[in-house]
Amino acid sequence: MVDKKNNLKFKTKNVSVFYGSKQAINKISLDIEEKQITALIGPSGCGKSTFLRCLNRMNDVISNCSVNGKILLDGNNIYSDEIDPVLLRAKVGMVFQKPNPFPKSIFENIAYGPRIHGIGNNRAELTDLVHHSLEQAGLIDEVKDRLDDIATGLSGGQQQRICIARAIAVNPDVILMDEPCSALDPIATAKIEELMSSLSKSYTIIIVTHSMQQAGRVSQKTAFFHMGDLIEYGETPKIFTQPDQQKTQDYITGRFG
Amino acid sequence: MIDKNIDQLKRLKLRKNAEMRLKVYGILSISLALIMLSTLMISIGLSGYSALQQAYVKLEINVDSKKVLDEKGGFSNQKALLVNWDGIVSNSFITNFPEITKRSEKRSLRALMSSNAGYELRQYFQKNPDDLDENITIWLSASDDFDQYMKGRFNTSVDEKDRRLSNQQLKWIDFLAMEKISKLKFNTSFFVNADSREPESAGILGAVVGSTLTLTITILFALPLAVMASVYLEYFAKPGRLTDFIEVNINNLAAIPSIVFGLLGLSVFLGFFGLPRSAPLVGGLCLGLMTIPTIIIASRASIRAVPPSIKDAALALGASRMQAALHHVLPLAAPGILTGTIIGMAQALGETAPLLMIGMVAFIIETPDSFTSAATAMPVQIFMWSDSAERAFYERSSLAILFLVGFLIIMNSLAVFLRRKFEKKW
Amino acid sequence: MSFSTLLLLIIAFSLCSFFFSSSSAFKKIKSATSRPSALPKHYGQYSLAWTLFPAFLLLIVFTIIGPIYVDNFFKQQIALTEASYDKAKIELVLAMIKNISNGSISSDEPKILKLADEYSNYLSKIYLFRTLSVLLLSSILGIIISSNINILKNSRVKVETFYRILFFVSAVIAIFTTVGIIASLLYESLRFFALYPFFDFLFGLHWAPNIAIRSDQVAAQGSFGMLPVLLGTILVALIAMIVALPIGLFSAIYLAEFASKRVRDIIKPTLEVLAGIPTVVYGYFAALTAAPFIRKIGMTLGLDVSSESALAAGAVMGIMIIPFISSLSDDIINSVPQSLRDGSLGLGATKAETTIKVVLPAAFPGLVGAFLLAVSRAIGETMIVVMAAGLSANLTINPLETVTTVTVQIVSLLTGDTEFDDIKTLSAFGLGLALFAFTLILNVIALVVSRRLSEQYD
Repeated sequence: MVDKKNNLKFKTKNVSVFYGSKQAINKISLDIEEKQITALIGPSGCGKSTFLRCLNRMNDVISNCSVNGKILLDGNNIYSDEIDPVLLRAKVGMVFQKPNPFPKSIFENIAYGPRIHGIGNNRAELTDLVHHSLEQAGLIDEVKDRLDDIATGLSGGQQQRICIARAIAVNPDVILMDEPCSALDPIATAKIEELMSSLSKSYTIIIVTHSMQQAGRVSQKTAFFHMGDLIEYGETPKIFTQPDQQKTQDYITGRFG
Repeated sequence: MIDKNIDQLKRLKLRKNAEMRLKVYGILSISLALIMLSTLMISIGLSGYSALQQAYVKLEINVDSKKVLDEKGGFSNQKALLVNWDGIVSNSFITNFPEITKRSEKRSLRALMSSNAGYELRQYFQKNPDDLDENITIWLSASDDFDQYMKGRFNTSVDEKDRRLSNQQLKWIDFLAMEKISKLKFNTSFFVNADSREPESAGILGAVVGSTLTLTITILFALPLAVMASVYLEYFAKPGRLTDFIEVNINNLAAIPSIVFGLLGLSVFLGFFGLPRSAPLVGGLCLGLMTIPTIIIASRASIRAVPPSIKDAALALGASRMQAALHHVLPLAAPGILTGTIIGMAQALGETAPLLMIGMVAFIIETPDSFTSAATAMPVQIFMWSDSAERAFYERSSLAILFLVGFLIIMNSLAVFLRRKFEKKW
Repeated sequence: MSFSTLLLLIIAFSLCSFFFSSSSAFKKIKSATSRPSALPKHYGQYSLAWTLFPAFLLLIVFTIIGPIYVDNFFKQQIALTEASYDKAKIELVLAMIKNISNGSISSDEPKILKLADEYSNYLSKIYLFRTLSVLLLSSILGIIISSNINILKNSRVKVETFYRILFFVSAVIAIFTTVGIIASLLYESLRFFALYPFFDFLFGLHWAPNIAIRSDQVAAQGSFGMLPVLLGTILVALIAMIVALPIGLFSAIYLAEFASKRVRDIIKPTLEVLAGIPTVVYGYFAALTAAPFIRKIGMTLGLDVSSESALAAGAVMGIMIIPFISSLSDDIINSVPQSLRDGSLGLGATKAETTIKVVLPAAFPGLVGAFLLAVSRAIGETMIVVMAAGLSANLTINPLETVTTVTVQIVSLLTGDTEFDDIKTLSAFGLGLALFAFTLILNVIALVVSRRLSEQYD
């Protein structure tokens, strides 16, 4: 395995996904660079979320889903038998469309990941880790006095940042975000976007979004999906100003979508 | 690179083991549950299947027509009463053993025939008066101990004094069986008779009819009320204290022990309204009150599953709320209501405790013929038989269980099937 | 005329009035110039309702009140003729009169025969009056309503209002039933507590209702201390839950979280069908198979196991409750949103960790509710214990000994011919009240707890 660039994180080759007999994505080959934000855009049903869920094998949860092709993380095929999805997901964290904090205290939400992975063996280490994660997620000032409150009582934006902090606490390399702002209001969205930018210094972030503006604001690279195919992939400014493909042009200018 | 440090791999193995353990517990539990339940059914099946057969004895009999026919040649019940049918049976039976002369031996020989054999003979001639004056061969019931011995269910290892059959009697039975004078044949009386003191003539017909009458009342009473109540709660009730209170009541009634409904029936239907004891009418009402919550809960869920857009469409065409509910929503909810009703009825059919309270536990020889005549029901019959001393009743109890459970499984499977078939995702 | 003939007659009347009214409305609408305010069938339904329901209610009232009225009248008659009779004796004479008048017994006492004759006369008069008044009411209302059809009046609204009232009454029956249960249990229990002190019942350590040998003994009543019975009930229910809870819960967890769709599709309906096996069958199994089996095992271990041990009844009851717990818990576990599982799996948790640390805690209130409902069921279960547990009330917590339960006592006290005044009969209602109160509390807590769960995820 020879990578031309050193900072390639994911390398995918001819990835196809089927739900039963229905094909969701078709032979996607896409390389994702380290410590950048890569956005996946496209109309709904185009397969962008399906592709995202392949990257940490969350599709395994769906019973009739099968994945073909190769996905390499740091050069290792993540669908090979030697890779355990449990360990993979510790490396590749995920934030979901709807904020889904566990119905437990804020502290327990953040500490959950480290606990199951055996990071932070005593209460003090764990507390440090929780504080650190909340700090990185920019939430520490808002919640430091009520770590024992139930997380589901927070506002939507705060809940989503709890979910981000929860993902960070496991110390992943990559964070996948599946339309993380679609259930949030504009102010909360702005906060999350700010957070993404600061996180991209230390993490590789891949975000699925239906908002082109958001992709334009936060990402360095953008991939455009349509009907299960990867239409175009390149530097974000280029995609948004002078795309190579007509379909991309049509989508960007709002002729369909 | 995914870190593959030894520590993490060790931890992973432990975590995987824990997962395996949980899965194994689950599989073990399910298998255990299934094993227990199949043990139950198999043990009952093994003890019950033999009741499908019954020992009969072949007798040659000739009855003088003058003894039983009236002047016009019809069968006279009055004259038949005077005939010693039992004597005819035992005389014929004893001719199989010409060597026996002692009175005591004759007595113990006679005991091998069912005490209802004479009655069976009389019934036969009542149906076939043409066979009078003829030499006929007829198969009549043997006693229950005879029957059990022929089926190999008679415990011969016990000391002779403590047995219901002596060694001599066993020898006679062996002889009869060898000469093909006695045989195990299909047990018709189990299906055409009502209860009896003698196991060999006891049947389930009375209980089946009793159950049918009871459930008729139950469904006539419960289904309309439950459907109307569900429509009210889903379509007309305004959210408030009263509605809340009704809901709490329904949910609570669904979980109240069934025996309490029996106490209600005893004190209100029998005590206050003076309705007759042991009647399917009262049983049906008690079971109906018990079933109503079940049907309401299923009906409401089914009505709620119909999307409001259908109701809105009807309303937009100028239909009243009542018309929208009755013309559009209720037909679409009907399969779910039907499923709930079947489940409720199955529950009522298997229910015993409330019927004990209102006296449907009496010993009744007649097949009930109206909603107010004394009756019993299938599960109660099973209960009474399994409480009897005779070994032969256990067997019949098991067979009755097989029938009841078979019927219930058909009902429940039908409900599961209907739910699958009509389960709509809107 | 009998009840059913009368009922059929007024139904026939009302069908007539339905067809008459709807056809006359149809004609009027045809010839009318303005648009009618309702369909012909609404006019028909309107007259049907008026012809049927008032007469039906009258019929019910007569059928219930009539005999009660006659009985009271004759009680007075008897009291007048024989001033020396006390209340119980009057009841006895009345019962005799009734039995003679319907021909089930005979008597040679002329006074009684005369009264019986009068009784049947009186009753037939009441029934004649019932027949006349019901038929009259039905036909008069039917004729008046169906001959006065005004198509300008909107009878649809009236019919619908009527339906709505009917529907409302049906819904309120649930309340009536509860009230009926509480009232009847309270009424009989209060009569019991008038004969036997309440606190002795509640805290007494000795339960022996059958001590009285002759009814004229001075201390003819037995002893009715509920505690041993209650303890027996709890012991049996506890054994049942120890068997059912782990098996049911683990089955549900496996079905909901690990089983493939195919396995689930087979096992779940099977368990549901098995949940429909009548309790009398379990009772039969407990009494004739399980109890001797456990006794045999106990003997080989050198333990003295009673043939009606609490263990046998409880264990079989546990088997009965397994499908109940597993199907309820399965539904509850399934109602936990998938997003929580995704969140946990996305962090790299295994399925087991997700189940134990996220799904089960989220489902916990619902599971507690299911558990309480199962306990309530175990306590109220009757047939298994009637057939497999004993009658003697031992104050023990040894599962190998015989205990008795509340339901067993109710059944044994109330089967056979029961006299309403007997203290034994009344004590059964006292036990019934305790049983009702106990299960009511469990049910209501279960309801409140699981309602909170559904609010959380709606």
